[in-house]
Amino acid sequence: MSIEITLEVNGRTHRARVEPTTTLIEVLRETLGLTGTNKDCGMGICGVCTVLVNGRTASSCILLAVQADGERITTVEGLEQDGHLTPLQESFLRFGAVQCGYCTPGFLMTATALLAEKPRATRPEIVDALRGNICRCTGYKKIVEAVESVVARPS
Amino acid sequence: MSECRYTRARRVDEAVAALAEAKGDAHVIAGGIALGILMNEKLVSPTWLVDISRIEALKGIVRGPDGTLRIGALTTHREVEESPAVAAAQPMLPEMAAEIACGRIKNRGTFGGNLSLADPQGDPPVAVIALRATMRAAGPLGVRDIPATEFFRDLYTTALREGELLQEVLFPPLAPGAGTAYGKFAARRAMDYTSTVAVGVRAVVEPATGCIKDIGLGLGGVGPIPVWARATEAALRGMRPEPAVIDRACDVLVDEIEPLADHLYSADFKRHVATVILRRTLARACARAARGVEARR
Ligand SMILES: Cc1cc2nc3c(=O)[nH]c(=O)nc-3n(C[C@H](O)[C@H](O)[C@H](O)COP(=O)(O)OP(=O)(O)OC[C@H]3O[C@@H](n4cnc5c(N)ncnc54)[C@H](O)[C@@H]3O)c2cc1C
Repeated sequence: MSIEITLEVNGRTHRARVEPTTTLIEVLRETLGLTGTNKDCGMGICGVCTVLVNGRTASSCILLAVQADGERITTVEGLEQDGHLTPLQESFLRFGAVQCGYCTPGFLMTATALLAEKPRATRPEIVDALRGNICRCTGYKKIVEAVESVVARPS
Repeated sequence: MSECRYTRARRVDEAVAALAEAKGDAHVIAGGIALGILMNEKLVSPTWLVDISRIEALKGIVRGPDGTLRIGALTTHREVEESPAVAAAQPMLPEMAAEIACGRIKNRGTFGGNLSLADPQGDPPVAVIALRATMRAAGPLGVRDIPATEFFRDLYTTALREGELLQEVLFPPLAPGAGTAYGKFAARRAMDYTSTVAVGVRAVVEPATGCIKDIGLGLGGVGPIPVWARATEAALRGMRPEPAVIDRACDVLVDEIEPLADHLYSADFKRHVATVILRRTLARACARAARGVEARR
């Protein structure tokens, strides 16, 4: 049984026919060709497949596409604006918060959601928000520093 | 791949009708997290999905005039954590929800899905047992209520009958003099979901004597099902929470639970951890009761 769904992905509306058991990440990567979102554990643990659904983080590998029907999805490809990286992305580069890079899209999406909600997030809040994303290269310090450096300071 | 049917229910009766037609062959999906994992692990290949995530009647948090708090099955862990109404009526619940995994899981995972799954590591089951909540189920014959203490029956098995949905959970108001607290042992909350130990305590303390008039104790991660620690409750009820009493309660608890060894910890280690978390959480609940924190809300 295939079902037609509508997804607004990075500001563009897409229609797709999916099986009830198709996951969101399959639609993103295979149907829409948005391969920036990576897949790893398949169990919601590692965080590499994190995307935003209506501005909130979700594991796209365990989210059925039919359940995302009609929702607003943001992937790592949707962060940059007019070809410019966001301050958070720039900061990841500047701080060396990227090594192999496999986990980076997930960290960027998680931190983007945090900063949208708490532009003045404290360091403990940053650490807490990132607790569900695994990085096996950097040891987290540089990632936390990169996020902290773009927190809005009271002027 | 076998064909899979999909029903997007908008009302409880639509979902119940689909489940009746499927005769046990359908999977209900709320947040869909548990099913997503089972499919990725190739442990399940569903033939019919009944999606209840868009049923408005299963959403929402209401505090009734008598103080009863009702949490709809589709309420997310995040909503439980952030709702002022929940914090005012049952402060253990936001404390509990804060301990669940990480933001991503809390955004999507539902209170009702978690309870229906009856994972022995789950946090909401511990809280509903300690707080003596009532589980309201909807089925082909209408609605029926099941006490939380009788809801968890076996590994991943609840008292819900085939074709029934968990509709909402009702929490009776806390008695005057009640203090509640939630404690959890987890090396890494977001990842070590298989190896956690959790304790929920609701203690009603008599101000004049300092005695524990009533107590509710739930535990998670210490056996195949979420545990209602009846014997340990009995060892504390009517007593003043003094060191000798608490030591004895811990001895009772060690005999009352049957933790399973896993890739990180032995069963004996988990028994010990359960007593440590019980001591700490009981102390917090009693201190809150003494300060009248819960009663003033
Ligand atoms: C990485 C990870 C870490 C986690 N850590 C924790 C943790 O620390 N603590 C914790 O408590 N939980 C944890 N969880 C579990 C999570 O919180 C979810 O509660 C759980 O996955 C189920 O919620 P869901 O809404 O997605 O349910 P679903 O997957 O939709 O459903 C779960 C089961 O319940 C049935 N069901 C769902 N809703 C109903 C209903 N209303 N009536 C009848 N049956 C129903 C479904 O058929 C299915 O069998 C974790 C999950 C992951 C992936």
